[in-house]
Amino acid sequence: MSSTGATPAIRLTGLQKHFGDVRAVDGVDLEIADGEFFSMLGPSGSGKTTVLRLVAGFEQPTGGTVELAGRDVTGTAPFERDVNTVFQDYALFPHMSVLENVAYGLRVRGVGKAERRRRALEALATVRLDHVADRRPTQLSGGQRQRVALARAVVVRPRVLLLDEPLGALDLKLREQMQVELKQLQRDLGITFVFVTHDQEEALTLSDRVAVFNEGRIVQLGSPREVYERPVDAYVASFVGTSNLFDAEVARAVLGRDGRYALRPEKIHLAAEPDAGATTPEHDRVRGVVAETIYLGIGRRVVVDTEHGARLVVLEPSTAPAAVERGDHVVASWRHADLVTLA
Amino acid sequence: MTLSPVSRRALLAATALVLVLMYAPLLVVVANSFNPDPSMTWPPDGFTTQWWVRAFHSAGARDAVLTSVEVALASTAVALVLGTLMAFALQRFRFFGRNTVNLLVILPIALPGIVTGVALNNAFRGILAIELGVATLVVAHATFCIVTVFNNVVARLRRMGGNLEEASADLGAGLWTTFRLVTFPQLRSALLAGGLLAFALSFDEIIVTTFTAGPGTTTLPIWILNNLFRPNQAPVVAVVAVVLIVVSVVPIWIAQRIAGEAETVR
Repeated sequence: MSSTGATPAIRLTGLQKHFGDVRAVDGVDLEIADGEFFSMLGPSGSGKTTVLRLVAGFEQPTGGTVELAGRDVTGTAPFERDVNTVFQDYALFPHMSVLENVAYGLRVRGVGKAERRRRALEALATVRLDHVADRRPTQLSGGQRQRVALARAVVVRPRVLLLDEPLGALDLKLREQMQVELKQLQRDLGITFVFVTHDQEEALTLSDRVAVFNEGRIVQLGSPREVYERPVDAYVASFVGTSNLFDAEVARAVLGRDGRYALRPEKIHLAAEPDAGATTPEHDRVRGVVAETIYLGIGRRVVVDTEHGARLVVLEPSTAPAAVERGDHVVASWRHADLVTLA
Repeated sequence: MTLSPVSRRALLAATALVLVLMYAPLLVVVANSFNPDPSMTWPPDGFTTQWWVRAFHSAGARDAVLTSVEVALASTAVALVLGTLMAFALQRFRFFGRNTVNLLVILPIALPGIVTGVALNNAFRGILAIELGVATLVVAHATFCIVTVFNNVVARLRRMGGNLEEASADLGAGLWTTFRLVTFPQLRSALLAGGLLAFALSFDEIIVTTFTAGPGTTTLPIWILNNLFRPNQAPVVAVVAVVLIVVSVVPIWIAQRIAGEAETVR
């Protein structure tokens, strides 16, 4: 990012925000490139939303600076910043029609009536809602309100769009559909999206890069693949997807090695004894008994109690040939390379 | 909820009885204002508008109405400004003693009028050494008028949250523009409802008024009280009472309709 020499859309330096004794944001350094789809992922209270509000200007930092396109905007008001926000509860103006809501940003900038009507309708058309322009926000469904909020934020053509858990209130089907639309919109507009979510799947599928937050800090920053395949510590390994964690004791018993490791459930291969499965030198093997099998549709989750006492969760694809059953003696194996060393 | 026919009829009867007991006396007053007999014997043995004509020519009644309107308008105006400012302070900011201030603002509506009246009377005359008159009356009425405005605005602010204003600022609007285009339109119906209630409260107030008006200032309720037992004035009092009913009920009816509409729009 910074190595290319281009000015980042957002640069945060030593950013801190304290509420009384609570360090909501505790030293965040971050550069987000122009045109990037960037996600901030973390549980509630991890500081991701506060970082977003600091970028938008709703909060002022206790320490550190916020730069937008190379300009230090620390201390300026939200209306002086070239960023727009899509709020979690949409925050549509209830006393205005959908069209007036979308045109609001143009209106306060002094754009003429005909011009702002044209541009607002255009923005509504991009989210396929131009047919509800004259309705009130209360007459729309959750998904429609969500899209109106998007149209209202992009109509003023900001350099950066901030999205605060924008899909949190939608049901699963709608959420998946909106994820596709968001991604498309971002590609079409070519602007920077900063997306706050606690849904790791959403963050992984949408983003160019992901920052995983914990207790006001970024614990890992990287591509979705890096974050998923190479979590830096036990926190990331368990928050992003499910992981089998080997602490020092279990690692010594199962692997005969020191250190702490994580292993993704889908990387483990199960074979019924005595068919011992893969036995190449680059595989680890452990014996166990199947304690539980859970049908998931796309596959099965199999819980195995190993001979060393540790429990393994295995994800078997639905294409797996011989399905093991509860009580079966099995051999679990995985490639050394799939084992992630944790800090 | 479904009720059995018996209990439905019983509840209907009870409701009807309560409403009759509440409103029959008011209807009697209305009827008496057209009763030709000056001692208001019941039932009326005819129909006359002479008391209405007399009432409209009575300088005392006319002045009392004007004084009451003047006081009600002034104290409502004071209440609108101060009540709204206090609602913003208490709803939008966290500060030391916030809950105490909140209680102190609401208390005047619960305090017995006689206590408020005596206390203000002592303060005005004894401590501040001010002549009682319209000005002291406006201040006294404003103490409880503020509460209705305050309650309405607080409820509205609580419901709208701070998000709409943040969204407005985010879209590029400065503080004044945000207030004009977002905050005020959201508050408008709450201000109207609170203001109309405040007006009605002030217009028919009598206890606090007795202690803070001074001898030269006669509001409509005071005038009624003074004239009620005077011979020959009773029918005129009935006319004035009917006017008072209309003037106090209409604002409340409007306030309720506004509140109802605001509910359904949301």
